[in-house]
Amino acid sequence: MVLQLFRKKKELTFERTYAAPIGAVWEAWTDPDQLRQWWGPPKTTIAECELDLRVGGRIAIVMVAGEGMGKYQGTRWPMEGTFTDIEFPHRLVYDARSWTEGKEDTTTIEHVTELGLSEDDGKTVVNLTVTLNEIGSGAKMAAFGMKWGYKAQLDELDTFLAG
Amino acid sequence: MDATTFAALGEPSRLRIVELLRLDRLSVGDIAEGLGIRQPQVSKHLRVLREAGVVDVEPVARRRVYHLRAETFEEIGDWVDSFERLWEARLDGLEDFLAATATDEE
Repeated sequence: MVLQLFRKKKELTFERTYAAPIGAVWEAWTDPDQLRQWWGPPKTTIAECELDLRVGGRIAIVMVAGEGMGKYQGTRWPMEGTFTDIEFPHRLVYDARSWTEGKEDTTTIEHVTELGLSEDDGKTVVNLTVTLNEIGSGAKMAAFGMKWGYKAQLDELDTFLAG
Repeated sequence: MDATTFAALGEPSRLRIVELLRLDRLSVGDIAEGLGIRQPQVSKHLRVLREAGVVDVEPVARRRVYHLRAETFEEIGDWVDSFERLWEARLDGLEDFLAATATDEE
């Protein structure tokens, strides 16, 4: 049950349809000035947002917890990565890691984000897959003390789960 | 570097023990029989898993039975859920943004 749960959730997939042309969605996702306007969930702000839109180019975004987040206020969550595939305006892939500033050793998550866009009758269908590869023992996982930072062991776990 | 817990799960026999404990609460003897491993070996593995917080032991009648610690695994589930919720919120934000942008252009 529990390990299966983890396997099932290791790859997150989302599908949304937006009432906007594909070009507008692509720009919202690739123009830093636009991206910073929607990227942060409620109660957060975007302190830094940099996108070098070419394969091998850098993506770097820092989210900061706002007043509404109580004890987390001021906490910075950087995300930094590299674009690995860009096919305008249909596909965008980047490898990245996210962490909580000041706790990089224990909170780093490595993930691959694949964005797929297709247009259907003036609307845009967004297919998003976020694959969590390596997971550091974050605040919530501290009790467990589990470190996913050892690739070989993770592979072993994968083999086990698949068996 | 605290690799204790991960190392605990990274060993094939211990993973098989965890797999077995997913199905039921078991004694050392049950596990030894189920996996065809000698009891002292099983005890050694269970000690490692206990120290790593993966399993717990409790007395039932005159036996000591082992079970997985739900909290430990729930932590993982919660954490992944929080990441999922972040993305849900973000995609909602994109919807609002696109709607606002379209209005501006009209």
